[in-house]
Amino acid sequence: MDHHGQIMAKARVVVVRSPNAWTSAGNPDPAVVARMFGRGFALLGDGSDGRATAASLFRADDRVGIKVNTIGGRAISTRPEVALTLAGWLAANGLAEKNLFIWDRTTRELRDAGYTPAAGRSGVRVFGTDTDGVGYGTDLVSHLGVGSLFSKIQTEFATASISLAILKDHGLAGVTAGMKNYFGAIHNPNKYHDDHCNPFVAEVFDSPPVKSRHRLTVLDALTVQFHKGPSYHARWADKFGGLVFSLDPVAADAAGWALIERLRAAAGLPTLRDEGRAPDYLSTAEKMGLGRADPASIDTIEETVA
Amino acid sequence: MNRRGFLRGAAGAGLALGAGLPSIGRRLAAAAAGPNLSHVEARYYVRLPDREIECRLCPRLCRLGDKERGYCGVRENDGGTYYTLVYGKVCSLNADPIEKKPFFHVLPGTTALSLATAGCNVNCKFCQNWEIAQVRPEQVEAYDLSPEAAAARAAGSGCPSIAYTYTEPTVFYEYMYDTAVKAKARGLRNVVVTSGHINPEPLAGLLSVVDAVKVDLKGFSEKFYADYVRGNLKPVLETIRAVAKSKAWLEIVALIIPTLNDGMAEIREMCRWIRNEAGDSVPVHFTRFQPMYLVKNLPPTPVSTLEAARRVALEEGLRFVYVGNVPGHEGENTYCPGCGQKVIARTGYTIETVRLKKGKCAACGTPIPGIWT
Repeated sequence: MDHHGQIMAKARVVVVRSPNAWTSAGNPDPAVVARMFGRGFALLGDGSDGRATAASLFRADDRVGIKVNTIGGRAISTRPEVALTLAGWLAANGLAEKNLFIWDRTTRELRDAGYTPAAGRSGVRVFGTDTDGVGYGTDLVSHLGVGSLFSKIQTEFATASISLAILKDHGLAGVTAGMKNYFGAIHNPNKYHDDHCNPFVAEVFDSPPVKSRHRLTVLDALTVQFHKGPSYHARWADKFGGLVFSLDPVAADAAGWALIERLRAAAGLPTLRDEGRAPDYLSTAEKMGLGRADPASIDTIEETVA
Repeated sequence: MNRRGFLRGAAGAGLALGAGLPSIGRRLAAAAAGPNLSHVEARYYVRLPDREIECRLCPRLCRLGDKERGYCGVRENDGGTYYTLVYGKVCSLNADPIEKKPFFHVLPGTTALSLATAGCNVNCKFCQNWEIAQVRPEQVEAYDLSPEAAAARAAGSGCPSIAYTYTEPTVFYEYMYDTAVKAKARGLRNVVVTSGHINPEPLAGLLSVVDAVKVDLKGFSEKFYADYVRGNLKPVLETIRAVAKSKAWLEIVALIIPTLNDGMAEIREMCRWIRNEAGDSVPVHFTRFQPMYLVKNLPPTPVSTLEAARRVALEEGLRFVYVGNVPGHEGENTYCPGCGQKVIARTGYTIETVRLKKGKCAACGTPIPGIWT
């Protein structure tokens, strides 16, 4: 189902790449990344109008939380250039800048990943759950096998949510991408890494604070850690130069998994299945009706921008 | 004063012994305090290639990449070296009756300086202290209390023992061990309240410096442990065996939860195992469940169920069997297995009378095992 609860014949995943995504200094080029977002949003719709896609996902007065993953430090986190460019693109396409915030668990992790925390009254805000006056809700959310407190950013500040995750191999989960990114919204993610995070990734995503607000997954695949993640290892990090978009959270992650397998194969590495750590939480999520995990149920559109 | 300031002030005041901390449930730092973390190298881990480590402290054997934390949430790999984040970072500190732990055969009527840091290596769905046990150390107010300071505080406040309790002390092993050494040097006792999820080597080290261990035997099937504890029964049984063989005093608590672990056949099997593997003198406490944390859909344990469990245990030959969390119940008392006289009378955590002479029943002279002086 899509976010309106309609049955979709196939999930759509959009992969936008650019050979110019990286500057000569080794940083993402915001102007190029902005073009990538423009095409990504457009291709999520009929290909002509990214603004229309955004309008279909968000009300003009929505407060949109852009959940990034910054646990990996500067080397392998959602890049600030990507998150800030997304916020800028949304602000230029119908959303109020003051209603956009980029967030993660802690301000320290955001800072370590290169973000400049900003919690003022104007502009795009950047802050962690540990910011004074924020914190976790006090009501325990008990949902399926999960019992957690959720960040107030997710439960109270945001009316809509984007998972802007870094795409990485993960020693326990197999793959960490858009759905697992929401582990950063709960107070006790360490409790949900047993059994390759299955079914916990799906169950956290299915919990009301996440499921009711999630609108869009975007995977930052400018750099992809395809082995020995979630930590950064330059030897197994590929500058793929892409962004992966989907309204289907499961399909987005399934496409991310496929990309990781592609890079692993090119490097002569065994598949995650062969290593006994395939991200089976994806098929669990599919069974729970959260989206499509089967590649045969996913249409992937790939496009390159200058 | 804002909420954060209030929490800090209230908790700080609580560190003065006798005042008591605010209840655990109110102290979760919903208003996000600044983290107070230690960076002390952990014990019991091995370094692996590519900056990975494997923790050897508990049976989970967490294998972690750089910047990752273990299941406990309080130990972190930083660049291939493993650190405890809670060394000397106390989130709960009280002078409790030792009966509250519960220890019924250890220094009755005394208070134990009881302390904890954040964290736990299991995730019981019925956790009573989840606000400090099932959280990361950034999420609670923590105060600095060095091992020496903890020992000095216990001695200075008339506590003859320090209890490592409330959360799971295994996860603050380094701090517990070092504090126990300091306390021992002052002539204090050390008592540990644990789920028993600890590996044999660190357990052996711990048993060399502590005097008593209370193990929570939360059920007697692997399925129960998998479904409700997120742990395993086998290592708990190994821990009980090891403590029973050591010089440390052992007591066992079995929390009885309606419909989940209250089958009398299973309880009988558990009691038989305890008698055979740990001995018939190990005190066993059957305690009453109250709806808590993620198990709020079940009623408190009927007292009749606890009484039935106690009968089963006595039938199986266990000599000291108690009913817990039912103040005023006759099953709170210690009865002499020789003459049947009441040798220690209790009401809740209060000792009414002690009729022991040099560790023996004052009436008939039967030895009553425990740590009495």
